[in-house]
Amino acid sequence: MMSTQTNQTVNQTARFSILSQDQKQRIFEGMIETLRNTGVHLHHEEARKLLKEHGALVDGVAVKIPQNLVMDALATVPPVTIVQSWDGSKKTLIEKNQVLFGPGPTPPNFTDPHTLERRKYVRADAAMVARICQALPNIGFVQSLGTISDVTVSLADVYEFAEMIQNTTKPILSWSYTRDTCRDIHQIAIAVAGGEEAFRQCPNYVFYGEPISPLLSDFHAMDKAMYCAKHGIPQVYTPCCIGGGTVPATHAGQLVCALSESMLGVVVAQLINPGTCVIMGGVQSIMDMQYSVYAYGAPELSLLSAALTEMAQYVGLPMFSTAGCTDTKTLDPQGAIEAATSVHSAMLSGANFIHDVGYFESGMTGSVLQLVMADEQIGMSHVVAKGIEVNEETMAVEEICNAGPGGNYFDTDHTKKFAASLWQPTLMDRQSYEDWAAQGKKTMKDRVIEKTRDIIANFEGPISKVPEDTKKKIADILQAAEIREAKKAEAENK
Amino acid sequence: MLEKTMLIKMNQQVHGTTMFQILTEDQIERIYFAALDVLEISGARIFHKEALELFASSDAMVTETNRVRIPTSMVEQALGSCPSKSNLTGRNGKRSVKLQKNEVAFGSGADAPFVYDRKTGERRKSTFADVEAAAKIVDYLPRLDFCMSHGLVSDAPNSKTYDRHQFLAMVKNSTKPLVVTSVDGDGLKDQWEMACLIRGGEKEFRLSPLFATYIMSDSPLMSNNEIVDKLLFATEKGIPTIFSPCSGLGVNAPATIAGGLVQTLADALLTVVLCYLKKPGLPLILGGVQTIMDKDIETLSYGSPELHLASAASTEIYKWLGLLSSSSGGCTDSKVVDEQAASESVMSIYNNFMAGTNLIHHVGCIDSGLNGSLSSLVMCDEIIGMIKQIGKGIQVTDESLALDILKEVGPGGEFLSHDHTYDHWKEWFRPTIIDRSNFETWTENGSKNYTDRLEPEVDRILESHEPEPLDENIIQEMKKIINLADKKEV
Repeated sequence: MMSTQTNQTVNQTARFSILSQDQKQRIFEGMIETLRNTGVHLHHEEARKLLKEHGALVDGVAVKIPQNLVMDALATVPPVTIVQSWDGSKKTLIEKNQVLFGPGPTPPNFTDPHTLERRKYVRADAAMVARICQALPNIGFVQSLGTISDVTVSLADVYEFAEMIQNTTKPILSWSYTRDTCRDIHQIAIAVAGGEEAFRQCPNYVFYGEPISPLLSDFHAMDKAMYCAKHGIPQVYTPCCIGGGTVPATHAGQLVCALSESMLGVVVAQLINPGTCVIMGGVQSIMDMQYSVYAYGAPELSLLSAALTEMAQYVGLPMFSTAGCTDTKTLDPQGAIEAATSVHSAMLSGANFIHDVGYFESGMTGSVLQLVMADEQIGMSHVVAKGIEVNEETMAVEEICNAGPGGNYFDTDHTKKFAASLWQPTLMDRQSYEDWAAQGKKTMKDRVIEKTRDIIANFEGPISKVPEDTKKKIADILQAAEIREAKKAEAENK
Repeated sequence: MLEKTMLIKMNQQVHGTTMFQILTEDQIERIYFAALDVLEISGARIFHKEALELFASSDAMVTETNRVRIPTSMVEQALGSCPSKSNLTGRNGKRSVKLQKNEVAFGSGADAPFVYDRKTGERRKSTFADVEAAAKIVDYLPRLDFCMSHGLVSDAPNSKTYDRHQFLAMVKNSTKPLVVTSVDGDGLKDQWEMACLIRGGEKEFRLSPLFATYIMSDSPLMSNNEIVDKLLFATEKGIPTIFSPCSGLGVNAPATIAGGLVQTLADALLTVVLCYLKKPGLPLILGGVQTIMDKDIETLSYGSPELHLASAASTEIYKWLGLLSSSSGGCTDSKVVDEQAASESVMSIYNNFMAGTNLIHHVGCIDSGLNGSLSSLVMCDEIIGMIKQIGKGIQVTDESLALDILKEVGPGGEFLSHDHTYDHWKEWFRPTIIDRSNFETWTENGSKNYTDRLEPEVDRILESHEPEPLDENIIQEMKKIINLADKKEV
């Protein structure tokens, strides 16, 4: 059809905003002022030396960062980073407003999907979580939902990555205890990618590291960040800020802190390797004053995360956000309320990696049931977030006039063309009461459990496509790491 | 710290609340123009005698087959006469709902034929007592602003007067403003008379309406005679009127949401014109349910994301036209209060609240509108609190930026014991049924899930909350009106 339109502004998606430009500018200025005047504590000598060489004021562990260092770092961060799945099947873009959801790392406990009991997280769980993530259409990246308890303690991070990367082609966000295990993970990724050069061209995972709030980086956090920067591994450098605990109770103050803490990682990484990808963000919520718990289901988490995402977009950094998590201890409506609220907020905000989908109990337990439920909520949120297409064809004036008052649209060509694009639920029930009752009165929880068990039983994942020699290389890396850690333990015992 | 006396940061524009937008003004205009096209080219079909006469004596064209086609000029003239605000005020004059741009109110609803018996758990027809119980809960809950009949009174003396009984059940048990449904024009008249008794007269009601009437149309562009009767009566008496055209995408509306919006808007604009022809100035609150319809069982989905999207977009369109808006929210297709009910309630409350819909009704309705749940009402009250917290946005001031506090505490410090935290943590949302205790505490307290905690709270409200009583003389006067209707309709 020939267009007769001119001067049209359209929303291709819904638009959502917490902060005005002026508000963002003030928070940005707050970060500049905080790094310049209050500064940070940095427990890494080499990093301090580097910062001092570039004009930072260093006094013991205290480092004050002048604004030109921040501005220079922001000038070299990449606008686009590409992460490729190891089999080459899919590229993931890390760029402004490109949204992906995924689980989170490291809860000590896990909800067993068969017994529904809370138990320790084991090695086999890492493979299972990766497979479930692979099967869920609205989950875009993979984290483990637990810390492996049945391997050498100091290598739980490496075993986790080795299990996950063979069971998913979606990007993995890995973490590590130390530079050593950070390197082990890197080596596995190189083995899977088919060599160092191939990995450098297109990395197949993102590393996740965490400074400590407020305004403090311990040795290992900075050491790993420097390793990743040097080797061009895209990395997340983000704190967990606890409003009223480790940062001010007012949201604006929390945003200043969170931004400042990530910015330290950005500055160091850009000094080491200008153009390397650093993702800011983190978990942003408040301390529940009744129970002294870090509230993962609080609406403040949604609000702060969306606002921090706007700050990330303002400074030109990708954002690691949080959603789909809950303070409930079991799959129930509370988990659904809290997850739906944060999922929709994070979706609308346009964050890049939205993590912690599947966290129960304020991050103390990982649950694939919560993950499977949230996958459906993300699907619902997506329908709203993508907005409404308004054009001659979708407005259907001709159809409406042809059908006439009280007309029927069933089976028309227009309906046949567009009805398929309406959302199809997989866990939401829309049957009549009678049909629902006849089928055993199942609640959504029952359906979530069924779907989860069905995926576990029947979904293969890509493990059979991992070449034998790659598997061998992974086993060798694990073995070498075991020997190294054993020697370390021995040395410590002496 | 710097002395702030003479320092001022100029030209600061802030978001006073969170901002949310589905459509641009250009997109809204296109939908509006398309709706005007529909009214000019195809129009609507009306059978009501007085309405046909009103149209025939205007510039509209009325055909032999009762098709009414309306020129744009008439629509725009009528739009100019719609009031931009109207307040609903509860019976004691203390609790009110502001109907004006970007003010949001939530309420129960609506006319669900079934309920789960709270003693036996059995699904049965809802009664007068059920509507009373729901009204009592609405009266108690802090985030519900108006009361709409949660259930259909099935134990009224006859099926044509249940609306008067619902009115009595609600007004007795809640001092919040009401939204009513009426069987027909006579029913609305009786409800209005009862409201005038409470308010003290017809002009008093006009200045300060006690209720809005909810009129649903499920046949697009073809309002039946009962609907028109109610519309004309409401127009005459100045009763704020919610007009809500309902349709199923791809069944009795186009399968595209934009098409559904065009059809709904055409229907709404037709109503605007009709009311204008009767008497300019009716406060019209326009809504619309465009959702997935199961064509075999003919039920509309109350939980589909398409409904949430279309409702938010409708609100934006009505706001742009300077009209008041309504939609359903806090409802679900789930048959029980479970994770589905929670998810769908969150999504609908979230999007409608952020869009700024004036009246969000049907809160607490489950089973695609067939079951009025008290538990869901209480759950949604908490959800509304959470969504409102997000909707507040973030204040950015010297006090909230807290740079000096951050400097004082320093790297590695803690804020828990600082006065600044004490001064501000009460601004946070505090949950009621949602539980944030750790695993050990939760286990010690009996490992209760959300529903286990929700049900006793519903019982507690029902047992302990005493709504402010309504003057017994007024109740007797109202009963006379009801009895008269009961006898007449037999």
